[in-house]
Amino acid sequence: MTQPPIPLAITPNPMTARAKSWLRMRAIARRHAYVLVRSPHRLFDVSLWPLVDVLLFGSLAAFVGTSGSTPAAKASGYLLAGIVLWHVIYQSQIAMSTGLLEETWTRNLLNLMVTPLREVEYLGGVALFGMIKLVIGVGVMVIGAFAFFSFHTWSLGFGLIPIAVVLLVVGWAISLFVMGLVLRFGTGAEALAWGVMFVLLPLSGVFYPTNALPTVMQPIALALPTTHAFTALRSLVDQRGTDWAQLSIAAIGSLIMLGLSMWFLVAMLRAFRKRGYITRYT
Amino acid sequence: MADEVVLDARGLVKDYRRDRAVDGISLVVHAGERVALLGPNGAGKTTTLLMILGVVSPDEGAVSICGFDLAHQRSHAAECVGFAAGYLPLTERMRVREYLRLYAQLYGIAEPNPLIEEGLERFRIADLAGAMGTELSSGQRTLIGIVRATLHRPRLLVLDEPTASLDPDVARRVREGLLDLCHRDGTALLMTSHDMSDVVEVCERVVFLSHGQIVADGDPDAVAAAYGRGDLAGVFLHLAERHEPTGAQQSDHP
Repeated sequence: MTQPPIPLAITPNPMTARAKSWLRMRAIARRHAYVLVRSPHRLFDVSLWPLVDVLLFGSLAAFVGTSGSTPAAKASGYLLAGIVLWHVIYQSQIAMSTGLLEETWTRNLLNLMVTPLREVEYLGGVALFGMIKLVIGVGVMVIGAFAFFSFHTWSLGFGLIPIAVVLLVVGWAISLFVMGLVLRFGTGAEALAWGVMFVLLPLSGVFYPTNALPTVMQPIALALPTTHAFTALRSLVDQRGTDWAQLSIAAIGSLIMLGLSMWFLVAMLRAFRKRGYITRYT
Repeated sequence: MADEVVLDARGLVKDYRRDRAVDGISLVVHAGERVALLGPNGAGKTTTLLMILGVVSPDEGAVSICGFDLAHQRSHAAECVGFAAGYLPLTERMRVREYLRLYAQLYGIAEPNPLIEEGLERFRIADLAGAMGTELSSGQRTLIGIVRATLHRPRLLVLDEPTASLDPDVARRVREGLLDLCHRDGTALLMTSHDMSDVVEVCERVVFLSHGQIVADGDPDAVAAAYGRGDLAGVFLHLAERHEPTGAQQSDHP
């Protein structure tokens, strides 16, 4: 056990540890890009579904906006801006969660786990791939909102960027939690990959202020960082500028959420190795 | 080089619920050594391999690969190891060359094309480079899996049932390719197999497991002689009979 490390028999391409990590992350991102490009139905995630959402909520916004009242005009903007920003969470979460699920569906987990790939590198790879999906999916929505409803997302200003970053972090946090559940409970937990989003959507006040929620739900909503991020978004839509107070609460909440999710994932990964759950996928 | 220890597993124990799958296994493999891990189903072979690969953590004991402690330096240790199993699929929706490139990069090889060509040539399957994984037969998939496991020229190659479900010609190519790899690169081999002809042809040392313990370890002829059997198949059948629940009280040792 005290023997010094033996060098590889042949070192084909000596690289620094950092360069190897970056190479591995890109390899994982490319692996998932192949899956996306070669499975046409998966392209729906970044093309058709965003377009359907923008059509649905854009049409609702157009309908509501015809009443001419000030609240209706506001709601119209909330609907379109809300659905575009909602897809930041959706795309980042789904890309990462289905990244791991893809490995379990195709029994590829063992192939990966025996390589030098570190868990953080794997997560970095699927997050990188998720960012590409995010840019495409949200890009489709922004263009769709402009083309069909003359809604200029970019007119909301640079304040959109920190809101999008907070929502991206929340998307990652949810996906880490889902990954932990999948490692612990198997693919039966995959329904949560989508189900969690449906719970979060109404509670986060994506399209309306939280005082529109039933009173009993409002404390739960206020505990979510997404609620504060969307409140900050509505401030932009109402042309009140960036609401830094709400944005700060959202940022702190999203980081706490990310930390808890990472802790949960590490604990589930430890249980996965300890209990030999890999045999579920061989 | 032959004195270099590439695998040092000490006192491995693994319990699954109420069953003890592995019960105090210690195994040392030197550079260039070709070792078969044998035993009936349920003897603890795969669990032992999974602990050696760092995918399952042992309840007791420790594993060191090329001097790297697996519990704390898994990624470094994994760089020294290649693994393939007959039951593992290829990564879906990728061509063979793309698949091999992916895994080469996971092992830190930025420009793997020459190694991919060499690996495919070694097992005489260069014509499969452009094929999709779904277009391959199970034998071809196994060969590609072994090429993947050897691309980075590991110090230790771990194979779980490498020739299961292969036709005799492909099985022969696998054996020849493995021997070539071990001779040229000094790679140590640790493999499980239920095909004793594979074992005799490829391995110079056999380790028999029964009930999660090592019951025999040595030269194939010496092990067969110790059990009073003419060959390894006889030893295997002897242990398989002892492995039945009714025979659990009988000794597994020669």
